[in-house]
Amino acid sequence: MSGSENRTLEELQRTVESLQRQLEEAQASNKAKEAFLSNMSHDIRTPMNAIVGMTQLAKKHIDEKARVADALNKIETASSHLLSLINEVLDMSRIDSGRMNIAAESFSLSDLLHDVVTIIQPQMVQKNHRWTLSSSGIVCEQLIGDALRLRQVYVNIINNAVKYTPDGGQIDLSVSESVLDGLCHLSLVCRDNGIGMSEEFLSRIYDPFERAGSTTVTRIEGTGLGMSIVRKIVEAMNGSISITSRLGEGTEVTITVPLPYEEIRVDHAAVQDKNLLILEANPVLISLYDQYLDEFGIAHTIVPSASAALSVLTDADFGKISFDGLIIGREQKESGSIYDIASYFSKAHPDLPVILISEDSWDEIRYHANRSGIHHFIPLPIFRKSLINGLDKVFSGENAAQGASLTPDLTGRRILLAEDNFINLEIAKEILRSTKAEIDTAENGQEAVACFSASSEGFYSLILMDIQMPVMDGYEACRAIRRMDRKDAGTVPILAMTANTFAEDIARAKEAGMNGHIAKPVDINALMQALRQALR
Amino acid sequence: MEGWQEEYIAHTEKIAALSAPVIGEADDFDLWYAQQIRAEQEISSLREQNIRLLETKLFPMLDELYGKDEEAIRSLDAFSDRLMDWRTNLDCGVYVAIHDALLSVYRTRRDRDRIIRELYKLGMGFYYLKRFLLGIEGPAKDAFNFRNELLFTEAGSYFTWFNQIEDEETRGYIIRSLANIALCTNNCSRRVRTSRRVLDIARDEEYRRSSPGLPWDAFVRKTHQQMSANRSELSGSELTSEELALILDSCYEVFKPEEQNENPSIRWLWPYYEMEYNCGYVTLDLTLQRMKELILSAPEESYDMSGLYGCVQLPIYLGRLLKKHERLRTNAENIRFLNEAYGKMRRALLSCPPAYQDDYYHYCVAAVITDYYEVPGVPPYAGITRLLLKKCSPDTYVRARRTGDVMRLICGFIYAQEPSYFDDIPFIREITDTAEKKETLLDYAADCGLYGDLGLLKMNITRTLHTRNLFENEFGIYRLHTVSGSRDLALRPSTQRFADIALGHHSWYDGSDGYPEDYERTASCFRQMTDIAACAFFLTDHPEQTADDLLLQIRQGAGTRFSPMAASYLADEELAGKLKSCLAADPGLYYREIWAGLTDTYTSADTP
Repeated sequence: MSGSENRTLEELQRTVESLQRQLEEAQASNKAKEAFLSNMSHDIRTPMNAIVGMTQLAKKHIDEKARVADALNKIETASSHLLSLINEVLDMSRIDSGRMNIAAESFSLSDLLHDVVTIIQPQMVQKNHRWTLSSSGIVCEQLIGDALRLRQVYVNIINNAVKYTPDGGQIDLSVSESVLDGLCHLSLVCRDNGIGMSEEFLSRIYDPFERAGSTTVTRIEGTGLGMSIVRKIVEAMNGSISITSRLGEGTEVTITVPLPYEEIRVDHAAVQDKNLLILEANPVLISLYDQYLDEFGIAHTIVPSASAALSVLTDADFGKISFDGLIIGREQKESGSIYDIASYFSKAHPDLPVILISEDSWDEIRYHANRSGIHHFIPLPIFRKSLINGLDKVFSGENAAQGASLTPDLTGRRILLAEDNFINLEIAKEILRSTKAEIDTAENGQEAVACFSASSEGFYSLILMDIQMPVMDGYEACRAIRRMDRKDAGTVPILAMTANTFAEDIARAKEAGMNGHIAKPVDINALMQALRQALR
Repeated sequence: MEGWQEEYIAHTEKIAALSAPVIGEADDFDLWYAQQIRAEQEISSLREQNIRLLETKLFPMLDELYGKDEEAIRSLDAFSDRLMDWRTNLDCGVYVAIHDALLSVYRTRRDRDRIIRELYKLGMGFYYLKRFLLGIEGPAKDAFNFRNELLFTEAGSYFTWFNQIEDEETRGYIIRSLANIALCTNNCSRRVRTSRRVLDIARDEEYRRSSPGLPWDAFVRKTHQQMSANRSELSGSELTSEELALILDSCYEVFKPEEQNENPSIRWLWPYYEMEYNCGYVTLDLTLQRMKELILSAPEESYDMSGLYGCVQLPIYLGRLLKKHERLRTNAENIRFLNEAYGKMRRALLSCPPAYQDDYYHYCVAAVITDYYEVPGVPPYAGITRLLLKKCSPDTYVRARRTGDVMRLICGFIYAQEPSYFDDIPFIREITDTAEKKETLLDYAADCGLYGDLGLLKMNITRTLHTRNLFENEFGIYRLHTVSGSRDLALRPSTQRFADIALGHHSWYDGSDGYPEDYERTASCFRQMTDIAACAFFLTDHPEQTADDLLLQIRQGAGTRFSPMAASYLADEELAGKLKSCLAADPGLYYREIWAGLTDTYTSADTP
């Protein structure tokens, strides 16, 4: 055969091979599409069946509110699963078609991790998982990147750890940073002692619709798209993902992404001369507090329990030392809840602001926290700058986004105080003076009604009403105000101040149209709490 | 004390005496019944007077506490002390309200000595309030315990500055508070360490010299007693050998003088025997033998603390011991003895005269309800609790019986319309014979009414309800009667089927309100019966309203508070008529059952 014939033959062979490859790829693609459709059909049909079935059941028992509620709950669960499935399929499609944009926006690492923990923690609690979050070498706290996508990746990875770790298992998260070529290489390691994966499965883990074990066996729900999406996002961020796992022993996932970062200023002018009492029993957090606060010269004492805190405050009382704030941390050595602790301290030491540092979602716990006397919040995990800046905001009064300061600033507001007892009147005025509100007084219910009636609409922001007064009692006065034909008659907050603390009395105050109840003798904290609630 | 305070105390003592039915030598039911009705009317009148005294005297006083002089505060203090004598515990709710208010005032005034005293007193008030919660576990009790512990801890933390505090009485409150931390903490090791610290202080000559007026020997004695109480918590706690030795030492300190006594108190003998076993010095068999001997030696006619301890507490401990050790409970002789001991317990509780039905007596009743060991060979729990209802809270029994009769009427009506209505309940569904099924269902419904409020009996909060309205914090405790009753009923085979009814009868049908929060209607196979119970208890809980008004409220609350199906049945005129008659019927029949039960002490009729 001549040289040219040989070349032609080689070309032909290459063409045949290429065609064969294309055919195989087309067949593989077809198979993947079939598998995709088959899986999708199963995964979509399962929650859809639940929705249809439960809707029929609800219709059948339409008069039974509880049965209908039960069915609606199940429909909600199935719908939410279906929605996440659809979202992930759309994500996949967006990524595959190259339509995914990675944002480059400034974000706080502390906030990002707090969000992730807030999302995941309820599931961990439900499965009684023990979990830790450690950090080391965090120097870049303000990063530039796509926080939403990064959160999606972290939540997905930790969610898998939760799903595939049996009840009572252990999940350890650790975050670290290293700065290289002007970029911060942020790493998250998620380690669990769950069911683990075989080597064979590890090789397929990024394939769509792959799940460790059948859902019917493991009863673990998921779309099977999560890891494919995670890898594609991480790759789009120029990062890397590595997984090591042993069947029956657990899994370790490491995600590293390089991100630009910003230098942030540390403000500590307002906190630098403060003396803080910290309630924390977790050794890792204790060492972090010591390290960060010492660096800025902020005086502090760390105690492991509420009892120890009380002893320190008693000693401080005798030693003429004063504390400026109480931090309730993540762990305490006694059984009381953070609310029980805060409630006691805010009553015993009303002039001591209580700051909560926690991984809980402030939005979710805010109501209970406020009621027990907590008005400042710093999210966990804490880093050097986030802690100092957070504390500085508390003491400079800039913490309004997370909670009002201990004494509400009522400048420009006017309060009507109805009280017949001169001493009580003076004490209440003295307490209210710190709020900077304008105070009008009335000696009985009738005077209070007259004052309100003579005022223009919206003149009074709040009425504090004693119950037992001569001429007209507080209940009657409240009813008279509520009956008036003016816009603010029904809306102005009216709080009862009374020593009548039978459960019936409290109900009676509500029936008369009052918004709340403050027990007498009035203490500062209770009054401030009530003002904050009423004027929020 | 002021006149109104004396009056309140007199009323409250009278109410306590009138609340316990006295059978005594009365062999004429009609005479006894008339006495009971008069007693109820008198209780009601005294209660109204008490409420008026609080509203017109106490509350205005607390209202103006900042301006009150020393004399007024002293009288208030004396009044509160009379209300919470540790044995009678007349009204710890008012005691707590007073000292809570005083603490607020002294905190505002920054009066350190008074703050310490009020912390101690409020701590004691909380400790007694907490006794309503015997056998209840969970966040509500934890919060209570924790606040109680912090009150004593805060007062005790002034010990560092003991010598700087000049007032000797205040120093005494500091020592007492330190010791009382051990009453609140759940941590056994901390209790032992706390008591040991107090013992060290109380025996220290330097402190004794610096405060010669303090009762140091009493502190030592009482701390040893407190330390010996730790032994009952030993199961499940991990104490060091040193801590165990400290408890044993304290047990010996309280045991030694009793042993030499001609009439030793069983109350202080048993802890030492128990600790000897816990420390491995004596065998389980010898311990059991000692316990049996103590029970046999306990005099039945003695109703003081020692007597009730021997006749009631020890049989309860015996039940616990047998329950814990299979080898002991499979021995027929031990079960026979348990039955005998329980008989003694029953006789002691039922024959206890009103003068002795104090706080400790009610504590014993609560202990029986919490820890009674129902096992073949001893009377069923259902019978014992029925008897205790009659003895300790006749008005609760009367209301419970009436509720049962209301439930019987409603269920009978529903069964006639829809025989399968209650078929979610397995033991009802399994009955194929129609007549038998109906009879079983109606008897079950009546007993659901009877046992639904068992928690109220144990918590003894009805005594407070007889005295006055409840404070907000007491109302929080009151709500726990559902959880408490349900827990106790669920633990015994003879009453298991009533547990869900006790738990859910105050919860709303749609879950939007009511209590407790953890009742899951749809998860309970007894839900239809609980729905009926919710209506029946609503009808009998409000005697101040007319039956027509109550039935109207049930119809209006259909689908929210009440089951729509139950409400639609109750809308039937014929059934409504029968219910109205039942609600208005003379309670004589129920009182006759009480009378018969207490005169015969125990009959087979008490076994469902």
